[in-house]
Amino acid sequence: MTSPAQRVDAMGPRRGSVGTVARFLLPKIGQALFVVWASYTVAFLLIHALPGDPILAALAVRGGDATTTDPAVLDELRARYGLDGPLWQQYLGGFFGIFRGDLGVSIATGLPVSETILRVAGPTTALAGFALIVGFLIALAFTVWAYLARPAWVRNVIVQIPPLGIAVPAFLTGLVLITVFSFGLGWFPASGASGFASVVLPGITLALPTAAIFFQVFSAAVFDAGASPFVFTANAKGLSQSAVVFRHVLRNAMLPAITIIGLQVGYLAGGTAVVETVFSRDGIGRLTVDSVLARDINVLMGVVIVVATVYAVVTLVVDALYGVIDPRTRTALAGAKPISAAKEVRT
Amino acid sequence: MRLLRYPGMIVSILLLAVTALAVIAPALLAPYDPYESVGTMRLAPPSWEHLFGTDHLARDVFSRVIYGARLSLSAAGLAVVAGVTLGAVIGLVTGYLRGVVDAVVMRFVDVVIAIPGILLALIVVASLGFGPVAVGLGVGLGTSGAFARVMRAQVIRVRAEEYIEAARTLGGRGPTILVRHVLPNAARPIIAMAALELALAILAVSALSFLGFGAQPPAPEWGALVSAGRDFVATAPWLSILPGLVILAVVLAVNRIARYVGGER
Repeated sequence: MTSPAQRVDAMGPRRGSVGTVARFLLPKIGQALFVVWASYTVAFLLIHALPGDPILAALAVRGGDATTTDPAVLDELRARYGLDGPLWQQYLGGFFGIFRGDLGVSIATGLPVSETILRVAGPTTALAGFALIVGFLIALAFTVWAYLARPAWVRNVIVQIPPLGIAVPAFLTGLVLITVFSFGLGWFPASGASGFASVVLPGITLALPTAAIFFQVFSAAVFDAGASPFVFTANAKGLSQSAVVFRHVLRNAMLPAITIIGLQVGYLAGGTAVVETVFSRDGIGRLTVDSVLARDINVLMGVVIVVATVYAVVTLVVDALYGVIDPRTRTALAGAKPISAAKEVRT
Repeated sequence: MRLLRYPGMIVSILLLAVTALAVIAPALLAPYDPYESVGTMRLAPPSWEHLFGTDHLARDVFSRVIYGARLSLSAAGLAVVAGVTLGAVIGLVTGYLRGVVDAVVMRFVDVVIAIPGILLALIVVASLGFGPVAVGLGVGLGTSGAFARVMRAQVIRVRAEEYIEAARTLGGRGPTILVRHVLPNAARPIIAMAALELALAILAVSALSFLGFGAQPPAPEWGALVSAGRDFVATAPWLSILPGLVILAVVLAVNRIARYVGGER
């Protein structure tokens, strides 16, 4: 018995919710695009405002018979690597290239930059994903341990440990792990990027600072939640301690952790440069280091754009999912109407 | 002495005093010449004679670490000075002018904060060329965003104070008021933050020097020492791990003192 009127009714609210979602998402998408554009602009300005000719610098590194001062040859090279013409043309050309997936040509190898980055994206994703999960678990373990620890001074000592994860240089962690677990015990390979075993040591190295950042957010949220009325109530109802910790305290601490995943992406992107070098692993970090060593600004720009894009997309997804994960934020998503309605109800 | 109640502070101050001495007068602390072989003992393990052992050219690694303090810490110091200066200028101008300039510049500052610091530093190094100065400037650029934010917030707070209004009523010009009245009153949190950032800058500088972008061999910059020892990690792990532990200790000491300066006990 579906009458046309009913169908319109059924469509009505849905169209409305599409509107609200669009109203909620469009500014966020705009923000994400802005981050990519601004990162590109900042990197472009830095490279071209600072003294030095990129082509000459790259040739000087290559050395040998590649070094030339013949203007005709230099002009040809500039044209090949997209470094010819007025600056604004290079700027716009590079920017619109991003949307075609065209990031230019590597000065060092002559291969397309997007292809070069894509080839090493896999190992880095595996490494970063492993580090993110292990870092999350370490932070979680320390948070629960600190929350349950008695007396207070033991807790104070435990709380001091995770922040060390930021202070320890990644190359030190990596070299100690290699010394102990590769050359000492022979459990894991010291280098390379093949198979799961090769992810473990670099992953742990990268996970320590990740855990430190997670812990900062967790512990603040957990101790906040611990002092909140709903935990008081849960304790008063006579729930077991583990039920209180896992069902009430931790659930409320997870949320802020999700919001900083975008931040972690930035951190991981920087951290892989050192970790992949220590473990001689192929990946985006090592590619970045190699491109700087070869003064290959095209690959470097490409990496900046890719990292900014991943950061922007992750931030966008987290923002969009936030309303789904936390029902309390949904009123904000739906706009001003429900809030004013709620006020009316109250008065 | 109230300080004596915090054993962490005593250790940190002592360690930094020794480090400062190594920066000012390395010859007083280093038992050997950092650039010359001390015999035929290559890759010797740590002993009383050679605390950190000797490297592949039979140089005393402990002496090289002592001499490296000046290079590493001055690059880190340069980073903080550059970051504070750039950040303070941006924060002062945006916080004082507000309006469109503020809105536009601060959006870019947000992006500079979002780009991983090491990536920004690498861009600077790729353009300027390698060396401790480029590394210091690059790391400084990465920290300037955070300084700009704090400075701007301070300026906005100070601007509303009565003495600024008084200075303006007395006919003070914008730039004069900024430098003479706003800056001194907004500087305090920046100083506490600069101390914290110094610890992070030491880490960032040594990471970049480890990657090969700092002072070139045979200069004994800390990160470069770790990197040089890495080639022998299978047979002589102390070569890279001991200098690495020195970096860690100095970072922790600076961090402890910075937190004390910032009011944390």
